[in-house]
Amino acid sequence: MRADVPEKLPDKFVNQELKNIDYPDDEKNVTINGVDYLQSQAPVGKFGGELVISTIGEGPKTFNPCNTKDATSSSMAGLMYDGLLTTNPRSGKVVPLLAKSFEIDENDYTIHLRHGVKWSDGKPITADDVMYTFEEIVFKGFGNPSTMDAMMMDGKLPELVKIDDYTVKFTTPRPFAPFLRQLTYPIVPKHYFKPYSDKGESVFNAFLSPDTPPKTIVSNGAFRLKEYVAAQRVVFERNPNYYKINLKGEKLPYLNKLVYMIVGDTNNEILKFEAKEVDVLSLRGSNVARYKLKEPDSDYTIYNLGPDTGTLFLIINLNNRKDRNGKPYVNPTKHSWFANRDFRAAIDWALDRKNMVQNIASGVAEPLFTAESLNSIYLNNYIKGHPCDPNVSRESLTKAGFVNKDGILYDNDGNRVEFDLYTNAGNLEREALGVMIKQDLEDLGMKVNFKPVEFNSLVNKLTNTHDWDMAIMGLTGSPLEPHDGKNVWTSKGSLHLFNMRPSDYKVDDRLDWEKEIDDIFREGALKLSFEERKPLYDRYQTIIYNQKPIIYLYSPTRITAIRKKFKNIFPTPLSGLIYNLDEIYVE
Amino acid sequence: MEIIKKIFQDKFAKAAFIILLVLYVIILFADFIAPYSNTYSNRDMSYAPPSKIYTIDENGNYSRPYTYNYIREYEPALMQTVFKQDRSHKYYLRLLPKGEGYKFLGLIPTHRHLFGTAEKGGQLYLLGTDINGRDVFSRLLFGGRISMTVGFLSLLVVFPIGLLYGGISGYFGGIVDTLMMRFAEAIMAIPSFYLLIILAAILPSGMTSVQRFALIVVILALIGWAGFARVVRGMVLSIKKEDFVQAEKTIGASNLRIILKHILPQTTSYVIIAMTLSVPSYILAESGLSFLGLGIQQPDASWGNMLKEAQEFTNILYRPWLLTPGLLIFIAVLSFNLLGDAIRDILDPKSRAGKGIR
Repeated sequence: MRADVPEKLPDKFVNQELKNIDYPDDEKNVTINGVDYLQSQAPVGKFGGELVISTIGEGPKTFNPCNTKDATSSSMAGLMYDGLLTTNPRSGKVVPLLAKSFEIDENDYTIHLRHGVKWSDGKPITADDVMYTFEEIVFKGFGNPSTMDAMMMDGKLPELVKIDDYTVKFTTPRPFAPFLRQLTYPIVPKHYFKPYSDKGESVFNAFLSPDTPPKTIVSNGAFRLKEYVAAQRVVFERNPNYYKINLKGEKLPYLNKLVYMIVGDTNNEILKFEAKEVDVLSLRGSNVARYKLKEPDSDYTIYNLGPDTGTLFLIINLNNRKDRNGKPYVNPTKHSWFANRDFRAAIDWALDRKNMVQNIASGVAEPLFTAESLNSIYLNNYIKGHPCDPNVSRESLTKAGFVNKDGILYDNDGNRVEFDLYTNAGNLEREALGVMIKQDLEDLGMKVNFKPVEFNSLVNKLTNTHDWDMAIMGLTGSPLEPHDGKNVWTSKGSLHLFNMRPSDYKVDDRLDWEKEIDDIFREGALKLSFEERKPLYDRYQTIIYNQKPIIYLYSPTRITAIRKKFKNIFPTPLSGLIYNLDEIYVE
Repeated sequence: MEIIKKIFQDKFAKAAFIILLVLYVIILFADFIAPYSNTYSNRDMSYAPPSKIYTIDENGNYSRPYTYNYIREYEPALMQTVFKQDRSHKYYLRLLPKGEGYKFLGLIPTHRHLFGTAEKGGQLYLLGTDINGRDVFSRLLFGGRISMTVGFLSLLVVFPIGLLYGGISGYFGGIVDTLMMRFAEAIMAIPSFYLLIILAAILPSGMTSVQRFALIVVILALIGWAGFARVVRGMVLSIKKEDFVQAEKTIGASNLRIILKHILPQTTSYVIIAMTLSVPSYILAESGLSFLGLGIQQPDASWGNMLKEAQEFTNILYRPWLLTPGLLIFIAVLSFNLLGDAIRDILDPKSRAGKGIR
């Protein structure tokens, strides 16, 4: 079978602290009385009890798994709805979940479904549900269209045929590596969803809003919705029809209840954990030291899950286009600096990442130099980064024709180097970063106007009005699929922030390296094996590292605490701490 | 002068007056008094605790005051940063040492600060440092410049508008009064908090945070004058019936002259009281707005945005020195209120509670 992940994960995925964990074997298919169960190989636990998790923000915006656009909604909908396939939390490979098995032959992906498994209302799950989910929701672009976009190749969608009640076959127009991972898309019940999707997209998008009566929701995941109290909590209960069993043949999950407590901010979350109202806490910065210190006589265990999947960076605006009134988005003088690779390199070398990690992240982070996050399997290990060295910066500024007179930097036309640096206000971490970066760059003689602005106005600047010079921002990432970064890196992507082109832009004014990255992303999607894809994605990271349109800063380390009474905890760097909610039990 | 003499007869008012006087003198001379500048930062000393100052040396003898530098160490096992004193070298303190250059009162360039370590390389963090390794004590003084003066900025807007508007409305009465007061009520009905949130989003980003904040204060004042105008109007209604106003009218003085020269001066005592009492509300508003990310932004200092840093859980527990801006806000606001109360008692004895003979 072809794999888009390496046979064996590199060493850094066997995190030192997680080395002693005795992981169970992979799940197996077991057929009992004609029902194809999935059998967990984890130690048999006790039934009952509840687990309380906190979620920061306003709570879920929808329970419709096809229409989730924020992390909270999608993780909750993900509990309620399983996809055909899933990602193995340890190896990162794509493995069957709701599907019993799958075969790949060239461009054909044949999926075999489990016999005898049921929706939470007792109706059988069949190929019709799969056909419905893809043909009438995904391929029509209903809800969140990102899966449709990801499956689209040269404007064509894969074909889907029903072979029998328990078998379907997808055929892609061409070999397409990221396709298989898209089959993790949640499968929804045709009999429950169809009346709404038939009424059009707007009705469908409003379907399963948070005020839907929980009893009426039909799902197939390990948990089903029990209660939602706005801005307070979301309660899930065991789905009695779930198809996963333990080694004794008893139906999972173990937990009676799973509660998401909705909290306002991290401080609130910490206080709830202290008050024992919440069982899991993710720690950042100086909190880590406090909890590490208290760990030996406490009722929780702290796990180090390695670097975060997101990235934190300084981004430079290379846009040289003009708005409707013919006014350039970026002042042409500034653009001439920003477009100069040596200028960008000077900035990169001046940044004191060591002290950023030490002061702002309290040492609980690692410096970052690559576009892929540190826990990505496609991370380019040849990029070692560099120390902070203002002398290198000065050399490259001189090379680029800048002159430093009495500590003030001028370009070769005699203009003082001065620009704005934005970030979102109210974020202590980013504001402190801005203060540091401002100092580092002012030591080179530049004048930096640091401007924390409200988050939505910043996003509007970056994506719509383009009238910014530099910004400190973050992006989420995927440790397994670099193609997810297509919208950031390809020249016409919707988040190609450093050189945004309007969606109807016809002129080909791509920089040479932008062209090369476009080619890499097109080619990378066509190659199927990890070994073939890795050099391509290594190359794109090298280009970004050399060209520095985005200068990466650091990647926080994920440290999570969970109460000791919970068993079957098998944390992995790829999937985190509590991905196996159906196996976790209370001692 | 009569007022100041009377203030000094009241214990609390006297204390409040002196505290405020000291605070204003200190922020005026902030460059000189602060050992470090507003932007100074020592990267290796993020969140350093306050420097300990010793006057008795290790042998038990009296000594000139001295301090030790801190060394920062990171323990990877506990993921903890610890500060230890470097006992190998004493740094003696002295008056008027040389430090970073600045302009005394914005005029005379100098390097001398009020106090500091005699030797170069000594660290003197009276109130510890913040996340960027900046001296909290110095930033408190610079932050005070903004926090303690924003209130007066709003007075410049609120009082002229309020006095004139209330004066005209009360003096003319009738339909003019009705229309003007309904308009004032409409202004009062504007929800200021939501207005601020909208302003935060639409204000041009080219402004510095001080300009932006000044604009926010002015806008707040532009909706804040209405309440003041209503009180003035009530006072004018009763004053205009006095004989001297009638006399003025018979001589043929213009309406504006009567309002400005003869009626409004009668409201002085109320105006002074209202002014003293409204300053603290703007100090609080500044800290509230900075807390929400709408006020003064980094790297500029204000008491409000410094206090924001103390919001984090571990900072309250382990770095109590970050709470000092809150203490100063408390002291300043309390002093203004005490002083305002005392001035009211002095200027307006009728409203005094308690002691009167009935």
